[in-house]
Amino acid sequence: MTWFAAGRPQHSGSGPRRHFHPRSDVANTNAAQRLNHGSTLLAASVLLDSGLEHYRGQYFNRAMYTPVLVSSAVLASSLHGAGDAGARSSRVRHAVQALAGLTGVVGLGFHAYNVGKREGGYRWENLFYAAPIGAPFALTLAGVLGGAAERVRDADPRDALLLGLPAGPLLAAGTALGLAGTVGEAGLLHFRGAYHNPAMFLPVSVPPLAGALLAWAAVRGSGRRPLTRGWLWATAALGLGGVGFHTYGISRKMGGWRNWSQNLLSGPPLPAPPAFTGLALAGLAALDLLERREHA
Amino acid sequence: MRLPGTGNAADNPQERTPGDDPRQVPRAGNGRAPNVMRIGAWVPMRQYVDDDEVDFVIVGTGAGGGTLAAKLAEHGFTVAALDAGPYWRPLEDFASDEMHQSKLYWTDERIVDGENPLQLGSNNSGKSVGGSTVHFAMVSLRFRPDWFKARSLLGYGADWPLDWREMWDYYGEVEQTLKIAGPVTYPWGPKRSRYPYRAHELSASAKVLARGAEALGIAWTPTPIATLSAPRGDAPPCVYRGFCTLGCSTNAKQSVLNTWLPRALKAGAEIRDLAMVGRIETKHGRATGVHYHREGRWRFQRARNVVVAGYAIETPRLLLMSASSEFPDGLANSSGLVGRYLTVQGNQAVWGVFDEEIRSYKGPPSLAITEHWNYEDRGKDFSGGYCYMSQGPLPTLWGKTQATARGLWGEALVAEMQRYNHVAGLKVVSEYMPQARNRVTLAEETDQYRLPIARVTYSWCDNDRAMNRHALAFMRQALEAAGGREIWDQENDTCHLNGTARMGDDPRTSVVNADCRSWDIPNLWICDGSVFPTVGGVNPSLTIQAIACRTADRIKALAACGDLSGAASASPKRALAWAS
Repeated sequence: MTWFAAGRPQHSGSGPRRHFHPRSDVANTNAAQRLNHGSTLLAASVLLDSGLEHYRGQYFNRAMYTPVLVSSAVLASSLHGAGDAGARSSRVRHAVQALAGLTGVVGLGFHAYNVGKREGGYRWENLFYAAPIGAPFALTLAGVLGGAAERVRDADPRDALLLGLPAGPLLAAGTALGLAGTVGEAGLLHFRGAYHNPAMFLPVSVPPLAGALLAWAAVRGSGRRPLTRGWLWATAALGLGGVGFHTYGISRKMGGWRNWSQNLLSGPPLPAPPAFTGLALAGLAALDLLERREHA
Repeated sequence: MRLPGTGNAADNPQERTPGDDPRQVPRAGNGRAPNVMRIGAWVPMRQYVDDDEVDFVIVGTGAGGGTLAAKLAEHGFTVAALDAGPYWRPLEDFASDEMHQSKLYWTDERIVDGENPLQLGSNNSGKSVGGSTVHFAMVSLRFRPDWFKARSLLGYGADWPLDWREMWDYYGEVEQTLKIAGPVTYPWGPKRSRYPYRAHELSASAKVLARGAEALGIAWTPTPIATLSAPRGDAPPCVYRGFCTLGCSTNAKQSVLNTWLPRALKAGAEIRDLAMVGRIETKHGRATGVHYHREGRWRFQRARNVVVAGYAIETPRLLLMSASSEFPDGLANSSGLVGRYLTVQGNQAVWGVFDEEIRSYKGPPSLAITEHWNYEDRGKDFSGGYCYMSQGPLPTLWGKTQATARGLWGEALVAEMQRYNHVAGLKVVSEYMPQARNRVTLAEETDQYRLPIARVTYSWCDNDRAMNRHALAFMRQALEAAGGREIWDQENDTCHLNGTARMGDDPRTSVVNADCRSWDIPNLWICDGSVFPTVGGVNPSLTIQAIACRTADRIKALAACGDLSGAASASPKRALAWAS
């Protein structure tokens, strides 16, 4: 979806030519678009995942509509950004992304409260079956990546800054942290499934390595990093492949896909794995910025 | 996407329930046995003719016999396992209907007497290939280590001839085999390896137990339970349909029928369904085989060793029925203890009404448990221990309980049934004392095979009554603390049968030794709950299976050093050659 949205650079199209920031740079725009791709995938993952899971919870609390609405807005905003080859940031998009970042944090609080109020409090079984404690943070990550895309878009190409710090290393470190959180979430839920299938070890082995390499890149900040790039692509592929594994997982529930209306809700979550793809794309964008900075 | 034949019959209207009746016509035969994991499928089965002298003929295929059949066959022995019950195909034969599913119980005629006659059937007696595990509630607990030396350490009952550390290893083996879903850390007893699968989500009735325990300041935990919380082979994870004690139609339940027996078949064992054993033949002080009734006639299977695994009523019954001029008091009965020390467990309950909807029939009945009073000896006015767990009675059972235990009828019963969805209860599994007077004997009357039926005599002792009082009072407190109202006690219920062929170190005070080998007849073994000298305060199925695993390993070791009295010898190649 994001690839369609990315499309061709629109400034070569027939529409009214946009106003470019004097310091604009194609590399910055490309990195911003890639961040938007990551944000788009994360937002899509959150939209579908929270939509399904909250549907399972019958939206018994009205607040459960929030992530569905906000992730839809982020999705639209990031799709728009991904398709925008211009070098000027959008205030509207920026505001939406900030809202998403905040919503994720609030959601995290809600989910943490949900776990703790159960019988037994913060014990493993409640972490398995209560609202997934780390899931809302994916919305925060989507917002942060989208927000970063806006910042990077009109930053100085030779020295893109985020929060006053160099954008490349900061994004690399942030993405590594995001990967760590997502790995934690997958690890927890796959532990709940007792790693009954060896493939369930993949998301707790491939992405952590990619994250570690990315973090290393953030620290070192020099030289080309084909290995890091390779692991990030592997992580991106894993995120998409995970949908296939989860499709198979649903087939192993009683009744399989014939009983899809039940098993789609109780089986492994189909929309969850692409969160890894989204973060991997953000990691690649961070690498672009890092390398760009070194060559600048 | 799912492979054909792995759902259940209700899953696909095109699938049909089988046309044959497994209660009338045997399913295992013609070189094949039902593949219980797939609709309409079969697996190859090795077969023996009656004149073949098999290494082991096993009477009963439940927790003891079925487990032993698999392990012995895998150790390379030739095994024929006979069961009086039908060979069910869970995906096709098990309807979601309480009345229909009563076909799983052993409801042949028996006489019950004593001061507290037992209710036999749903709660303690199964007649199926796979035994009572086909309808057991799947609660899979380990014994408290001290119980193996109850007489020496705790001052009551009898000592077991087994060491708890050895049992701990075998518990681990059984838990792996059944992929027990249990808590990440278990609050009581010595360290144990992590349960292979994670605990299930608590049901509302389990949460009631948790709330009560927390209010009273005692520990609780999700119940370690033999139903899958993640897929395994052809078996899907539990769908929380709630028909656990009536036969699981999805195969998520890890019964002997769908775990050990497929392994037994693969390793070359033969399983004969609808085969009622009526007599063990002996000659010159040794067992030579069994007489059994199948397909309308009596037959004789020769064997180098006979294993009796018929559970605590049918095992002593068979031993007593096999009396001969050589053994006038029945087999293995020189101590006079065969049939004695029948020990059941308490199963009293407290029930209450809650404001919120509970729907306790959803999911396995017991998803939370506390073993507090199994491990805490202070504050008791009795010997022994008990655990209690959450419960989920289905509507017919609930109606019956109201009518019998509480005497409600007519409008009162209808009014009570309308509150069914708001009821939750706590039910105990408590350790009654072994008493020689509680016993199984033969009655004058005969059954459909013209065999004398069993007379089951049972009475509580003062200690049992004191335990009942303590448990009911404590559970009442817990239920109240959890928010229950209008609490009432269900006082007269028992479960699980044990004893009647107890194991020990002394031939004068026990029937079998630690290897489950009878003291009197060296090639006669007993492997089921009847060998328990004491019953402990937990459900016995895991311990029965652990003992069976140990027995199989001991038999292998004994065979290796020629100590099966020239009977069988392990020859793994034989089984492997067949399997390939």
